[in-house]
Parts: sequence; C-alpha cells; structure tokens
Amino acid sequence: MSERPHWNVPTGASPLPLEIRVHGRGGQGGVTCAKLLAAMFAEQGRHVQTFGDYGSERAGAPVRAFTRVDLAPITNRNKVYRPHHLLVLDAALLPSGSGDDVLDGAGPGALLLLNTARGLAAFTSSHDAFRVAAVDATAIARRHGIGSAALVIVNTTVAGAYARAVDLPWAVVERAFRSLGMDGDLGAAREAYAAVAVRPPRPGAIAPAPRVPAPPRPVLGLAEHVRDVPTALPTGTWRTQRPRYRSHVAPCSAACPAGNDVVGFVQALRTGGVEAAARLLLATQPLPSVCGRVCPAPCAAACNRAAYDGAVNVRALERWIGDRLADAGARAPLAARPRRFAVVGGGPAGLSAAFALRSAGHEVLLLEAGTGLGGVLRTGIPAYRLPLDVLDRDVARVLATGVDARCGVAIDGPGVRALAADHDAVILAAGLPRPARLDAPGASLGGVRDGLGFLDAVRRGERPTLRGHVVVVGGGNTAVDCARTALRCGAARVTIAYRRGREEMPAIPTEVEEALAEGVALLTHRQPVGFAGGGAVARVTLAEVEPGAPDASGRRRPVVTGRASDLACDAVLLALGQGPDPALVPAGWSVRGGRCMDGERPTDVWLAGDLATGDGTVAHAIGSGRRVAARALAAVEGAPVPAERAAPAEDRVTPAHVRFSHFEVRRPRPERHAAAADRARCFAEVNGGLEDASEAERCFSCGRCTRCDTCLLSCPEGVVSRSGDGYAVDEAFCKGCGVCVAECPRRAMEMTLDAEAR
Amino acid sequence: MAGRLISANHAAALAATLAGRANRTARGFCSGVYPITPSTECMELLCNQEFEKGEVVRVESEHSAMAVCIGAAASGARTFTTSSSNGLALMAENVVSAALLRLPVVMVAANRALGPPWNLWADHGDTLLLRDSGWVQFYCADNQEVLDTVLCAYRLAEDHRVLLPVLVCQEGFVLSHTTTRTEVPSQEEVDRFLPPLELPARLRDTPRALGGVDVPGVAEAHRAQHHEAMARVFEVYREVQDAFERELGRRPADPVVPYRAEDADLLVVSMGTIAVTAQRAVDEARARGERLGAVRVRTFRPSPAEQLAAIFRGKRRIAVIDRDLSLGFGGVLWGEVRGLAEPGAVVQGYVIGVGGGDVRPEHVAAVAADLAARTAAGRPVLMETGA
Repeated sequence: MSERPHWNVPTGASPLPLEIRVHGRGGQGGVTCAKLLAAMFAEQGRHVQTFGDYGSERAGAPVRAFTRVDLAPITNRNKVYRPHHLLVLDAALLPSGSGDDVLDGAGPGALLLLNTARGLAAFTSSHDAFRVAAVDATAIARRHGIGSAALVIVNTTVAGAYARAVDLPWAVVERAFRSLGMDGDLGAAREAYAAVAVRPPRPGAIAPAPRVPAPPRPVLGLAEHVRDVPTALPTGTWRTQRPRYRSHVAPCSAACPAGNDVVGFVQALRTGGVEAAARLLLATQPLPSVCGRVCPAPCAAACNRAAYDGAVNVRALERWIGDRLADAGARAPLAARPRRFAVVGGGPAGLSAAFALRSAGHEVLLLEAGTGLGGVLRTGIPAYRLPLDVLDRDVARVLATGVDARCGVAIDGPGVRALAADHDAVILAAGLPRPARLDAPGASLGGVRDGLGFLDAVRRGERPTLRGHVVVVGGGNTAVDCARTALRCGAARVTIAYRRGREEMPAIPTEVEEALAEGVALLTHRQPVGFAGGGAVARVTLAEVEPGAPDASGRRRPVVTGRASDLACDAVLLALGQGPDPALVPAGWSVRGGRCMDGERPTDVWLAGDLATGDGTVAHAIGSGRRVAARALAAVEGAPVPAERAAPAEDRVTPAHVRFSHFEVRRPRPERHAAAADRARCFAEVNGGLEDASEAERCFSCGRCTRCDTCLLSCPEGVVSRSGDGYAVDEAFCKGCGVCVAECPRRAMEMTLDAEAR
Repeated sequence: MAGRLISANHAAALAATLAGRANRTARGFCSGVYPITPSTECMELLCNQEFEKGEVVRVESEHSAMAVCIGAAASGARTFTTSSSNGLALMAENVVSAALLRLPVVMVAANRALGPPWNLWADHGDTLLLRDSGWVQFYCADNQEVLDTVLCAYRLAEDHRVLLPVLVCQEGFVLSHTTTRTEVPSQEEVDRFLPPLELPARLRDTPRALGGVDVPGVAEAHRAQHHEAMARVFEVYREVQDAFERELGRRPADPVVPYRAEDADLLVVSMGTIAVTAQRAVDEARARGERLGAVRVRTFRPSPAEQLAAIFRGKRRIAVIDRDLSLGFGGVLWGEVRGLAEPGAVVQGYVIGVGGGDVRPEHVAAVAADLAARTAAGRPVLMETGA
C-alpha cells in the first residue's frame, strides 16, 4: 500500500460537508465505528461531529450512528438523512422487502460499504446505483479475537476497510486508532484495508427513492393500555447468532486416564444416588473402590473448582460409590456369536480388559501367574492404603460376570503362541515384573533389597523385622509405600532419597505428605553411588544431583555431581521402577502400535496396561485394558477399529467459562484420616473416607446442563421456556443477544452463527 | 486544529475537574454522583479523575448526591453533580435546599423526558420542573458552550453578590453523546480564571444545624434577598464573560443570543440546540427572501425579560418553540415570554421535539409559515417531527 500525501475526495462523494451513516446491530460497535471515522477526518484537519442514534441499546437491535465532516464548524444537530457514505456492519440489515431504511436517502454514486461473507460478486446486480465496497469484517475480526464468543465486534475492522474505500492513507488510520486508544485492533483494520473490494456505480442507474415517512403510529385508546397487546415486532429478525444448548467437555472427564465420565457420575450421584452413579462408572471402570483409594486423581487436579474454593474430591466420591454399591455383579449373557479371548495378567489392565469383553458377551480366560488376582494392587500396595477385602470385592464383581480366571499360571513366549492358536485374540497385560537394578558398588550387599519384593512379602503376611535407619531410594508411589511400610515393620527412622526435587516426585502428593507426617525424612537431589558394610549394608554414599538440560518430556535431566556424602543405614530398599518380562513376547515376534507382529503379519495378540504404555497408574491400566479390548474385538470382528480421539481443546470447559458468582463458596469436605501417631505403626487403613456424599454438591457440572434455569431467568426477552428435559428458545423473538450463553454458569450453551442470508 | 474529540458529557466532567482542582489551595472539591442515562458518562469520567484535594462520592440516589454537594459546599468545597430526568425529580427536595441555603453548587443536567412511559431522549421538561427552585439556569447549544458555561457557572455562583447554585443544561444525546472538537483549557488558565472559593461564612469545626426555622417576617426577607441576588446575575455574568475572554481568549455567549433579528418580520424564539437549528432555518428563509430572525434564550433563570423585550420591540409576529410541555397550559418558554412583546403582537406557542424528536430546519420553516398565516395567537400548536 503506497502512502498518499493528500486525502483525495472520495469517488462518488458529494463535496464537503460529508455525511456518513453507519448501520449495525447493538453490540457491534457502530457508534465507535462512526467515531473512528470522525477521528480519521479530524486527523486530516477537518471539523467533525459524530453521534449515535441511541435506542433501547439492546444487543442485536438495529442501531445507527452518524458522522459529519466539514471545513467549517458544524452547527447541524440533526440526524443524517441524505448520507454520502453508508456503512452496513451486517449486510443482513439490507432491505429484504419493506420497512427497512438502511438505504434511505442515499443518492446515486453514494458509497455503500458492506460487511458480508458473500463477497462483492453477490451484489453485481443489486445496488448498482451505488459504489459498493465489500469486506468480510466478521471473519477478520473473529480471527483477531475481537469481541467475545457471543458477539464479534466488527467496528474497527470495518473502519479499516472504509479508509481504503475512500483512499485515506494508512498512516491516518493508525493515528486515528491511537488517538482513541484502539491500537490493539489495528491488525484487523489493516487486514480489512488490504482486503476490501470496491465496485463503481453503473452510470445512469437509479437510486431507490427516499422513503415516504410513515404516518404517525396511532395512539392506543385508554382502554387499550390495560390489555396485553401482543408485540408486533418479530425481534428474531435482528439475530446474527443464536444460542444453542450443547454439552462441553469437563476438565475432569478429559483428564481421566481410565476414560471415566467423571462429571457424569458425580452429577448422577448428586441427583440419582449411588446406583445411578455406579451405572455410569462401571461402564468404564470395574474397580471403583480401588481407584477411589489409590488413583492420583488427575480429575481433581484439573477441576475448575480449584480456581474458586478448592477442587472437588472426586476420588473420595468414587470410593463412596464403590464402597456402598450393593450390586455385587451378575453373570453377563453371552453374545449371539461369542468370541474367545485370553487375557494374560490379572492386574488392573487385565481385569479391565476381561470385564469389558465378558460384559460384551464374549468368553474370557484370565491367566494370572501369582496366587491371587489384582496384580500390583495385591502385591505392591500396602494394606493401610488398600485393604484386601476392598480389592477382593471389586475383583469379585469382575469375576461375577463370568470370567474364567486361573491363578498360578505363568505364561511365556511359547505359551502365548499356544493361547493365540486356541483363541480369537490374546491380550497381554502382565505388567512390569522385573525391578530395575542399581548399578553401583555394593548393591548386592545384604540388607539392600528390591522394594516391590519387600512390599509383596508384607502383603503376603510376612512381617520382616526392620530396625535402625532404613533408606528408600526412589520417588514414586512404590518408594513412599516402602518408606511407610518400613516404619510399620519396626524401622526407627526412614529416609527417602530421590534424585529430583519434591515437586517432581511421581508419587501422589498427599501420600508424600502423609509419609512426612508419619516421620519419614525426604532427601531430594540425591543419588546412591555406592553401598558399604561388612556383609550387611552399613552406609550408603549419596551423590548430590543437579538439574540439567530438559529431556524430551520436559523434565530436567538429573546430573550426578562429584559431591558425595555417606549416610549410615541398616537397610536399603530400592524402588527404582520396573521393566517387562523379556520372555513374554514369542521369539521372532515384534510389537508395533501395541500389537504383536509376526514379521509383517499382524497377529491377534495385543499389549495392554503398563506393558504397553508404562504409565504406571491403576487408572491408566484400566483405561488401557478397556481400550485394547475394544481394538482387539474390532479386529476380530472385522469392524473398524474404534478411534480414540481426545476432545478438541476448544470444547473443554476452562475456569474462564465458569461463572463463579453463581456458586456459593463451599470448601471441600475433608476425608477422615487417622492421626499420624496412631497409624504409623499399624496396617489399618489410614483414610476413613468421606462422612457423606455432600461433596458431590460442590461439582460445577462443567459443560453439562443441570436445568438450573439461569438461561430462562436471564433472557431479557423472556423467550426461553422449559421443554422436555431441557429448554426451548422461541426463534421468532430470540435476538441472539447472547445473555443466556454469557450467564450460563457452566458452559452448557454456545452461540452459533445464523446464516447471513436469512 | 486545537481541541479534543469529546462528547458534551465529557466536556462537562473535564470542566468540573479543572474547576475542582483550581480550588486545591482552599477547601478542595467534592462531588456526589449517581448514574442515570444520558448523564452517566459525565459522572463516570469524573469518577476516574484524581484530585489532590477532593473526592467524588458514589452514593445510592440522586437525592443523596445533592446532599453530598450541600454538605461539602457548606464547608467551603467546590461542588458538582450531574443528573437527568426522573433523577432530577427525585433530587428535587435537595435541589431546593441547596438554593435556599445559598450554596454555590454547580450541576449539569443532560435533558431527558420525564417518564413513565420511559423515554431516554432530549426534552427540557426535567429541568423546567426545577424552574422555581431558586437556581440559575443556562441552556447550551454545543459542546464547547457546555464546557465554558460550567467554568463560568462557578465564577458566577461563587461571587458574593450572587451566591446561588447554577444549573447548566445540555440536551441528552443531541449534546451529551455527540462528539466534536472541544477546546479544553489548561489547569493554569482555569486557575487564573477561577480563584479559590471563599464563602462569607462556612461550616468549621463546630457542628451546626443548617436551615433552622424561618418565621414569617424573616422568610419574607430571605426570599427578597434571594430574588435580589437573582437580579444581580446579569451584571455579574457580564464581568464573568470579560474575565473568561481575558484569560481564555474567547467570549462566552450572552444570556440572550439574537440571530438576524434586527430587521426580521418574524422571530423564532427557542432554547438549546433547537435555537441553532432555527438559525439554519433563518439562513434558508433569508435565501428565499423571507425576513426571518431567531432568538436563543440561553439564560432562563433569572428571566432575561428586559433583553427579550428590547429585541421584541416593534415585532408583530413571534413564534416560541418549546421542547417541553406544561400540561394543561403549553410551552413553558412561551408562557414566560408572551407578555414581553408589544401589545397586539402575535406571540404563538409551538411544542416540537418533546421526547427526543429530531427538530429540523423544515419544522422551523413550517412554524414560520403557520405564524405568517395568523392574525391572532391561538392555543399552543403541538407538532410531531415524525422521527
């Protein structure tokens, strides 16, 4: 765009005084648009005057604004009846028949600037007496994020297009915007300045005749005033956007690795009780009492209520449902053509896969190498966090469906081949049984042992006697479980050594807090580099660790320094993570995308749970088991593999979408915890759970309508009514003002574009 | 070109701010405000100003807004408020109190029709409701005049020969929401024009009751004093005009502004922006060879009866346009001035543009045509603008 030294008198315009009329809808910013125009001409040294035709000032209503430009001071105080330039902020305002006055008084050659998505071509045959300019200001302003979801504000964008249409130099536009403090919109204005298309008037074309003033409306007789006169104004025609009821994705549900409908089951608990909530929960989650205790609860970490008065304690509610669910499960009927599946591994992923497949009517053989089902839930999680009877009840519900479970059956590569030959599909969910070794001098000394093995022994009823100072190496839940179990086995003192900082510990933060409360010490940024002692370990050498460059996951890679010190100890428990059994996948096979491949041939053997993902939480394992089961079934039946696509980010409900003012401040209900001094020496469950289910009342129900009537009450036109399970909007009168959507406390509504050409 | 692109609401707020700051070496500034369309933007801008000595108090009603001004003015602060329409009606009791206590409060009204039914637009009926409240009343015709008149109002109100509150009227939306170039003086200029406020007596540390009881004889004397103070307004205002012109370089308009009236056969008398529209109609009529003239009444209280009588001398046909209607009577301005013409003159009242109708030059021409055809004045003519 070249800079022009002087303002050219606009083509087709009358000489000064220049009169401009802006037509828009309430909320589009027409008055400010007219003011921007005035500012541009004032920058050129002209006298200007600008004002709005103020009416009922309601969003969506047609509104007008005016600007006059002259060389002499302006004394004309009237509205503009013979405009030289017409700006139409919404082309849908153009005459569609009778009664419209947008073009009223504009003579041949007048500039008609339209905000339209239809382009100049749509106006080739119409309005040919005018010099027509067209720009899709709504699209441009929307791209630049001007306005809100309920209403795009196009005024500044249209002003940019206008400047180009009348050959004003860009520098004038910039100065005018700055003078009104609207620099932020210059980007959109600049885009419109470049994008506007202009068409000359057709010589000899005749402009529409000025409107004949309508006769004054008759005044109602006195008696008429007491009657409810129906409005003759179909305000629905003012609408450019319309409200719609649509559920959005709650952050808790989006965050759940198991794929639970979190907001759904919490709301079901609130409105329908335990059984109603369990129906939703059991669709994705066979182990609610387990997850209600040991899940790190990413749902609560994502909860929008955290930005208000504290996240909803979803985990405790899940436990409430699981513990009080009377339904012990029932035998699932077989499908018409039942398929035969084998699941290897009775941990959470295997149980989840078996439950999903058996519930869908297929035969499931579940094989577990250990003595009982539950995997790490049974062998690795201490009783004070997860009592065995709780685990047994959840497992029993899975088995009740008719799963053929066999324990003490270890499967290796040839075994997998044999299972594959006998079954339609095999799901390997054997977890990560091999503890990671520490490659440091003295790691094989007596008293240095694998933490998971220690926990398993305790879980089996052994009570290994510990004494003195026990050092636990690691930062995950296993490390914390080891530390707290060591205390309960008689250790006088327990120290956790972890190579990163406390915030980076993968363990559940509340578990870390509880361990510290029980007296466990935490040494961060320490890595054992050697163990010493005569026969049994007596010292561990801990090197200091500094955070280095971030790795692929964004975590800073620990860098071991040369600074080291010795710590006297009587036992060391290593909780450094685990690896898979390398002999499980048959020799010669490979794994691609969670599926075993025999050369290039995909087999019907699938990997699930930690074996597939290594995510390491019960919730991840449960989600993986169910999803892999669905994929395996789809592959067997030749059906399309179900897509697993996360909801798009723009569909998530964020704190900005929640109207906090709608909700009373109500702090989270605490769970009942045994006192640290009482609990630290015994294996009784530490957390007694909630006293009642009232925590569910705190759920915002993000993205899900609760029939709270806020839309109905806030509609300025009173056109929202209850209908069936939800609401209906009277389209004849809805102006699309967006108040209902803005007022909705939980983003259960949205505005959608009305077609421009109505 | 000098000046800022601002509305009359903002012009009024800036004038009040400058005047308020000019009193910083004395008792400062205090303003009680309550919003009502179309005056709201004035109080909003005022609320965003910073005063080194002073405060804008947001209260719960117009009545309290004026109460704040009364208390503050009685203790020597420079005071300001703004309102419209039914807000003024609610304020009325304290409006009268401010005047009868002889406190130099300045108020800007954005004229709006009284309701219900609710109407947001220009109509002089709200401030004319306060006609007999004892306040000086100015009616403005453009943004610059609003700003200048507010500044003049303080100097006039605070003059010891006057000591009366002043109401500066600007039509809602037509002025309040119209943006034009307006020259805003510097603080130094305003400081020179507006000396710190000194009252002959003011509240100090000792608590006192204001008002008290007026027994009949004293009441007569108080009313007479008040009336005489009104009578001195024009003389003091002339000095204010001189001082303003000296310090700010332009002369505020006279209480009455005649336009091509001297040789006119037919006069159109009106207030506010309609009077400027009438001047445009006069130019058009003169172009057609018709000897039309116009008179703008800028100061409504005290009544500029003498100035108008001088202009009316020798005129046989006078039209009075009111943007208000005293129900059961006619236009208020018409009622005021119809006795000022020479005996036998036709002084006909017309009511146009009530409730915000857009009064255009063609309406004024229609008034002139109607008047030219008359041989005697009749009942007031109520006209519809059609928009």
